[in-house]
Amino acid sequence: MSTYVYGIADADHPTLPEGMEGIGSPALKVRTVKGGGLAALVSDAPENLRPKRRDLLAHQNVLAEAGGGGTILPMRFGSVAHDDDAVASALEERATHYRERLEALSDRVEYNVKAQHDEDAVLHTVMAQNADVRALTESNRGSGGGTHEDKLRLGELVVKAVQAREVQDAELVRATLEPHADAVSAAPESSGWITNLSFLVNRATSERLLGAIEELRQAHPHLVFRVNGPLPPYSFVEPGPAAPAAD
Amino acid sequence: MTVATTQQSGGGGGTSGLYDVLELVLDRGLVIDAFVRVSLVGIEILKIDVRVVVASVDTYLRFAEACNRLDLESGANKSPGLPEIVGDTMESGARGKTKGALSGAAQTISEAFSQARDEGESQSRPRQRRASSSRRKEEQE
Repeated sequence: MSTYVYGIADADHPTLPEGMEGIGSPALKVRTVKGGGLAALVSDAPENLRPKRRDLLAHQNVLAEAGGGGTILPMRFGSVAHDDDAVASALEERATHYRERLEALSDRVEYNVKAQHDEDAVLHTVMAQNADVRALTESNRGSGGGTHEDKLRLGELVVKAVQAREVQDAELVRATLEPHADAVSAAPESSGWITNLSFLVNRATSERLLGAIEELRQAHPHLVFRVNGPLPPYSFVEPGPAAPAAD
Repeated sequence: MTVATTQQSGGGGGTSGLYDVLELVLDRGLVIDAFVRVSLVGIEILKIDVRVVVASVDTYLRFAEACNRLDLESGANKSPGLPEIVGDTMESGARGKTKGALSGAAQTISEAFSQARDEGESQSRPRQRRASSSRRKEEQE
């Protein structure tokens, strides 16, 4: 039977969640495979593994549990080795590399920060800062909403202003939060938020990042944040700080 | 550290917590060449979440309409949520004075965090419902 791999830790990692329920239905038990002074968290791989919600959650939970007690290099979801021996030899072959990464990420956790605009609030901001938008809105209101062309003209103006604001706010968020992190990794722009950044921070000083986010939130009410963390350092397993994961 | 503990447990946070980190679990993380990776067919959900404003006639009309309805008297700073946060911060800050300045300040910060988090959730949820319910369906399939 093939072997599903969750992540890689030092063999001395104090709290590897052996016996925890992993992916599969019924859940398969998590165990370890050792090699090269390292330990891989694994379970049997279920037949026909697909990225189902339950399994994604199980993958995430196993890593969160292990990450709580020490550093772990998280695998991308869905990594399956031929068998336990294949896992052990992969550990041995690249032991130096994995050790270096574990060392570099020691006590580090990832916080993922997504920001978007609160639509009403950003419209207020745009209106307050743009006399043209204000004037056009007033005149449209004066004529009962305006003609189709009037509406398009106003709408186009507003959309341009909001888009400019998206770029400006994305830069603001990054510039404000970056000094509080060891490294930053940006998600591809297509993912639908005005910004989607992962920060690598020392577990002990993560409050600084959270405090900076809170200050941003209060100073800019049109920004809505989604903050997730501490997470295993998904975005920082490959060397090169600030470098986004290759596509 | 309310944020930390709630999120870390993952299971309790359920779907929304998972959705927020989905692209990390699926797109980031260590890859070992010698291992096979499961096919990701069926998770285009990663790319459909376009909430950033796109220029189109529909958007123009929608924004023109929104501007028309906008109450110009209340500024952006009066958006719901903020006054309560400030109010609470001051209140617990005052409470702190009887306990000694340091612990008061610490409490203020942590309360502001958890309060802001609650506010953020209740504020942002309704706006996201449309998008996330369709997402959820896809995830469950």
